[in-house]
Amino acid sequence: MAVVDELLLLKTKALNDIAQAGDSAALEQVRIGVLGKSGTLTGYLRSMGQVPQEQRAQVGKTTNEVRVAVEAALEARKAELAAVELAAQIDASALDITLPGRAQQMGTRHLISRITDEIAEIFLGIGYSVAQGPEVETDYYNFEALNSPPDHPSRGLADTFYVRDLSGEAAAVTGESDVLLRTQTSGVQVRVMEQQKPPIYIIAPGKVYRRDVADPSHLPQFTQIEGLVVDKGITFGDLKGTLDYFCKQMFGQDRKTRVRAHYFPFTEPSAEVDVSCGICKGEGCRFCKGTGWLEIMGCGMVDPNVFGYVGIDAEEYSGFAFGMGVERIACLKYNVPDLRMLLEGDMRFLRQF
Amino acid sequence: MKVSLKWLKEYVALPDDIKALCDRLDLTGTGVEGIEKIGASFDNIVTGQIVTKDAHPDSDHLWVTTVDVGQANLGANDTPESLQIVCGAQNFNAGDHVAVALVGAVLPGGIQIKKSKLRGVTSCGMNCSERELGLGSEHDGIMILSQDAPVGVPFADYMQMGDVVLDLEITPNRPDCLSMIGMAREVGAIYGEAIHLPDQELLEIADATANYVEVEIADALRCPRYTARIIKGVKVGPSPDWLVQCVTAAGARSINNIVDVTNYILFLLGQPLHAFDFDTLKGADGKAHIIVRAAEDGEVFTTLDGEKRILKNDMTVIATPACAVALAGVMGGLTSEVSEETTTILLEAATFSSAHTSRTSRNLGLISESSMRYERGVDDNAIAFNADFAAALIAQVSGGEVCSGLVDVWEHKTEPIELAFRINRFNAMVGEDVPSDFIEDTLVRLGCVVTKAQADVLSVVAPTFRPDLEREIDLFEEVLRIYGMDRICPTLPGGRGRIGVRSIEEKAVSLIHANLRSSGLNETMTYSLVQPDEIERLRMDASEMGQAVELINPINADQSVMRQSIIPGLLQSVVYNQSHGVKNIQLYEMGSVFFGAEGKKQPKEKQKVAGIMAGAMGDGGWNSQPSAFDFFDGKGIVESLVRELAVARVRFKAFEEQEAPHLQPGRAASVWSGGSLLGWVGELHPLAVAAFDATAPVIAFELDLTALIKASKPARDYVDIPVFPAVTMDVALVVDEAVSHERLMQGMTSAGGNLLEQVNLFDVYRDEERVGANKKSMAYALVYRAADRTLTSEEVDKAHERIIGKVKAATNAEVRS
Repeated sequence: MAVVDELLLLKTKALNDIAQAGDSAALEQVRIGVLGKSGTLTGYLRSMGQVPQEQRAQVGKTTNEVRVAVEAALEARKAELAAVELAAQIDASALDITLPGRAQQMGTRHLISRITDEIAEIFLGIGYSVAQGPEVETDYYNFEALNSPPDHPSRGLADTFYVRDLSGEAAAVTGESDVLLRTQTSGVQVRVMEQQKPPIYIIAPGKVYRRDVADPSHLPQFTQIEGLVVDKGITFGDLKGTLDYFCKQMFGQDRKTRVRAHYFPFTEPSAEVDVSCGICKGEGCRFCKGTGWLEIMGCGMVDPNVFGYVGIDAEEYSGFAFGMGVERIACLKYNVPDLRMLLEGDMRFLRQF
Repeated sequence: MKVSLKWLKEYVALPDDIKALCDRLDLTGTGVEGIEKIGASFDNIVTGQIVTKDAHPDSDHLWVTTVDVGQANLGANDTPESLQIVCGAQNFNAGDHVAVALVGAVLPGGIQIKKSKLRGVTSCGMNCSERELGLGSEHDGIMILSQDAPVGVPFADYMQMGDVVLDLEITPNRPDCLSMIGMAREVGAIYGEAIHLPDQELLEIADATANYVEVEIADALRCPRYTARIIKGVKVGPSPDWLVQCVTAAGARSINNIVDVTNYILFLLGQPLHAFDFDTLKGADGKAHIIVRAAEDGEVFTTLDGEKRILKNDMTVIATPACAVALAGVMGGLTSEVSEETTTILLEAATFSSAHTSRTSRNLGLISESSMRYERGVDDNAIAFNADFAAALIAQVSGGEVCSGLVDVWEHKTEPIELAFRINRFNAMVGEDVPSDFIEDTLVRLGCVVTKAQADVLSVVAPTFRPDLEREIDLFEEVLRIYGMDRICPTLPGGRGRIGVRSIEEKAVSLIHANLRSSGLNETMTYSLVQPDEIERLRMDASEMGQAVELINPINADQSVMRQSIIPGLLQSVVYNQSHGVKNIQLYEMGSVFFGAEGKKQPKEKQKVAGIMAGAMGDGGWNSQPSAFDFFDGKGIVESLVRELAVARVRFKAFEEQEAPHLQPGRAASVWSGGSLLGWVGELHPLAVAAFDATAPVIAFELDLTALIKASKPARDYVDIPVFPAVTMDVALVVDEAVSHERLMQGMTSAGGNLLEQVNLFDVYRDEERVGANKKSMAYALVYRAADRTLTSEEVDKAHERIIGKVKAATNAEVRS
């Protein structure tokens, strides 16, 4: 048989082998068998010198054609097999994607802090800053400078925890003291007005204490947020508008607010603020005790006497103050059934928020 | 205060819609806390008249009646229709007036009235007996009402038992509203209705009061006015029905006619009175010598509730020369109480200082209807009128006679205050123009005398029964609340140039919160009110905590001091979780702790942030198995926190034995930034954990927030990203157990020169045979780099050898090959 025919036969066999190769390893074996160091086609290339001169051009050309054809077939088959193998591999590595993911477990913010943050953000957005004050207060800041002088009946409104006065002073009434756990964050108002000139736009969140036995709706320790504005030309309408804005931001645009006249020693006129019940939309239901309204805070125009204590001219400036209980909002907005849960540290409760 | 609307109606017209009235009261400052319908058990029971009475076709004792109930049963075209009722009583005739329970009524005994058939005849209601109505034991027949009884009115109205009693929240600034007259005035102002003040004609006998009483006020500050009247020949006994109804509706118990009148006047006019049995007061001369004086310290006095009270000098007593007979403004004495034998009454009408009354009441824990009014203020100007009214009424209900003249010692008269009401300023305050006519009218209805001083200024004389109206602003409030706060248009303040600012501290605090949460800790809140022994139980060193801040009036011993550390509270939460089967506990809290000091009123309030961990991070899942928390989890949290805050020169220092007894020795460290102590981290001592009934190990840390924020930097500086490659050389150093990682690190970094960029510990290995007893092998990767060139291997080898040499010399380390 002529060399050329041998080559053509070889080509046919090689292309057939390539087509038959079932995986990359078999294909590699075919490649080595044909094009490897001792491959069949390699043998022809090496022995080209022994080919008679007159056939050389013909053989050389054929050899080259065979090589190109084989190489191309190898390449094509290789790509084909790779695609099949990748598909098989992908197939084999499919996951049950309904298995739980591998997440870092983040901690959570306490509900009371979360609500406090939310409230602070609302007021920060309308130009308020945050102020702080001590939890163990003197009578002066908690009562007297808030226009509630000693023996004033308004003091009966808050059941106060008194603290042993280490300065050695004795109180006029047995069991009372000049030092106490603040019953309201309102004392911060006085401290701010002592330190800062108007305009003042602040809120003051913090813990307060009242002598109530802990039960589902009372805690002896709870959280209040106080607000204070002192500026020129502040009106009662401004107070209403501010609280209306706040309630809509906090509870939803469809909620209404109403103010009811009330009495607080440090504001005049004073009012209590109700927000319309979100469950019955103001129609009256069990949640709002049939009134359609939920009480959420106290407020009023700063009493001129309070300005007097801190040396602000009540003829030049006016202002308003408001105070709300954060735990109360936790009940209204998150339906916490028992306030005591807020202080237990139960991980199952904390992780809910 | 309880207000009977039936009673209130005598002085002012009330709207028919009680809910609307309550809403208006709520909005104008009188909170309605309860609405009690008296006579509610007679709902659906009306008066009726028997029209026909026929024998039941199928019974020998039942009657078929038709009963006219007027408007109570309307048929077609809203015309009244009689009801057919089958009745078993025998005591009635056609034409009789009866009490009819309509279908739907529930009788006091619980019987429900339904439409029914009695032996085939339809019955639409029931003619009631007295017993069925709960009014008596009579049940031989139905109740027959008088012939002139109206037809078709609610039975409760017919019996005059229907009343609505409101429970009102009277704010402490409104003593006047603690009376029916005050509430009538309030309602009159709200609805623009005239009020009718009650009066009682007083008939006096010739015998003068002064023949029987002398009054001396020792201290006018304590008692501005004291009056006495004598009513002779009284017969103490039960009160007439109207009086009983009034005082019981107001919430008092009917005692006898004399006491009931004093209570009636208290509720009607807001004037506390005291009726003494004159004979127990009179001296040898037959006269009562009343002295209003300070109590003596330690004076013992028995109040009429039978309690022995030990008095203080700050309290005021009504006394005879022999002894105290009443605790001024608070309660009378047992010995001078009116009894059935009493024939002569000495009636006290007075006013006492609010502050003294308030303190007396608080000191003795004794609050009475009187003290409640005196501590808010009782008007001295009204006393003579009130005393006369009461004396006349006592005479009327007890058959007594009133002696002529009022013995009246009036040491200090309250003068009415004249105030300017600037209408412009009022409108500027509310932000709306309220008509001046409305302003004037409202003030007048509230009892003020108003004259126009200038075009937009009113001159207002406030009545002395309104001690809360002292300033212009007080009048503003009155007008605004009556005008209706709900009518004021909401606006927002227009203040210029204000911006809400977060301080550096607040930003740091919120960064700390975020960082601790990202470390897996859940924020919690525990009580600041704690047990006094918890620091000791935790074995914490209290030597630098000052004194515990103690409550004078705690609710219970478990919450009687202010906390000095957050850890005990957190540890209790760990116990709570462990006892509820929660295995992975990661908590933190930020808050104040309190350190008192002798001689200082207020304690130091320090802000702390503390964390606690027990169990493991998460429950473990199909692809991960969390390991139990140990010291390094706590330390890691603190490390990541100080890194976030860019705290400089952080150092964890092992505690010496006894330095931190609440922590397990060898697993505890203090945390420093340079020379300033930030706090500690460690495993709580097993004994401390056991003392709280928790399960060990419990990892905790507590850091001083102020120190932490002070040591933090708001931002870190930029450092160039390296451009030249680093060379890493590993070395394993075998050292004694006592040689700490920190010491090896110090040795390497101090000898490293500027080519050593980083040292990472990657293995700690112990093996008695291969490493040696009490030895450990510490393997480090040392990273060398130059900022300006690629290092040659000669350079690196040289530096590395120098470092190893120095560390070996300093720590007796050997290089493990």
